[in-house]
Amino acid sequence: MRIFNPTFGLSAAGGETMALKPVNWKSDAIALFSNSKPNARELLDGIRSKLGAFRPVENINFVAKNSASQPAPKDLIEEVAAKYRGALLAIAD
Amino acid sequence: MKDIAEQEVIDIGDLDIDGFNAFALEQGWGDGMPLYPPTEAKVAQFVDTVRGDNRPFAPVPPRQIVPTVQALAANAVMAGCKPEYFPVVTAALRGLLDPDYNLHGNLATTHSCAPMVMVSGPARQDLKINFGSNCFGQGWQANATIGRAVGLILLNVAGAKPGEMDRSTQGNPAKYTFCFGENEEENPWTPYHVQRGFALTDSVVTVMSGEGPHNLNDHGSTTGDGLLTTFAGSMATPGANTIYGKGPCFVIIGPEHAATLARDGYTIESIRDELFKRSRVHASRISKENQETYISTGHKPDGDWFAIARSPQDIHVTVAGGPGKHSAFIPSFGGTTVASVRIAR
Repeated sequence: MRIFNPTFGLSAAGGETMALKPVNWKSDAIALFSNSKPNARELLDGIRSKLGAFRPVENINFVAKNSASQPAPKDLIEEVAAKYRGALLAIAD
Repeated sequence: MKDIAEQEVIDIGDLDIDGFNAFALEQGWGDGMPLYPPTEAKVAQFVDTVRGDNRPFAPVPPRQIVPTVQALAANAVMAGCKPEYFPVVTAALRGLLDPDYNLHGNLATTHSCAPMVMVSGPARQDLKINFGSNCFGQGWQANATIGRAVGLILLNVAGAKPGEMDRSTQGNPAKYTFCFGENEEENPWTPYHVQRGFALTDSVVTVMSGEGPHNLNDHGSTTGDGLLTTFAGSMATPGANTIYGKGPCFVIIGPEHAATLARDGYTIESIRDELFKRSRVHASRISKENQETYISTGHKPDGDWFAIARSPQDIHVTVAGGPGKHSAFIPSFGGTTVASVRIAR
């Protein structure tokens, strides 16, 4: 018996990949990206403190989207991509 | 050889129905209930029903793949749909893909939301979609399988695997299926799809990311004013996402309640206005911590009152159900919209 695959689809245009230089977590600029849920900032604060044990934290900055239920605006994502080498995301609750 | 996930057509040999179900569950294709095999012949029957609708689908988030009609049909077959239900399923998907519906957020959230699928117009009669007694309940193939097909598409095409991308804390039985018809025949006002600008003769599917129906029981009130007091008091709930005040909700009025409201001169507009005014939640019913969270995220109270919607227009009103003194309130996810799409038939 031959069946159609219920998960099959085509890749969306623009889904091309690019080679990225590995992030150096000991020195590169990093964004701590909050989903704006309660306590996300506290969680990211803790991560920033932990990172401070083995690297400078002056170039580790907090970023937040406006609403927990809405996607981050494209402009904000592009800004993070331009300014930082890596991002740590606080997701869920 | 390609992985199974990359193959459009899969040869599963001579598996019987039990063997197919074991295979499908192993692939992660199921919702836990038995599935029908989406054979090439069966899928072709379904695809034939949407030949007049050639518009491509947008990429489906969060997986971001463009589905083929055959893959969508495979899900409808597995759900137990009849071929003639398939245009309702594809119209519902087009509604879910409205950017303001925010499908990614709806599928990834910890909230319990699931797509509410409401059908208006002649398709209800033609497809035997229940809009009368027990319209949210069991017993009707169209209601059960159209809603289920939408759920399977979100699982298999969108990638909303429970516990993985679908992070709902507790889920909701409506994630299995939640489809019903509007009771236009006993609606003393304008049918919902006509309120939305469609012709009375159009068949339309409306989707909203909703919780399950919250019952509004009122056997005592004999006036429209009394009914609205009960409705608003039940809608004023501090635990629903609507308290964030940034999304739509539905009030589905049972025919007997609708007759009372219409007799007392209430219109859709005045019902919305009254419910908006009366359903605010007093600050004394909301914890201090939650008040601070709401205010810090832009949901400011009016004095001591928190509104459950941005405006009366966020409260969508129509009629469904059969005899009895019950109506229903369906709050939404919040960061979403109500999308209505004409069914191409």
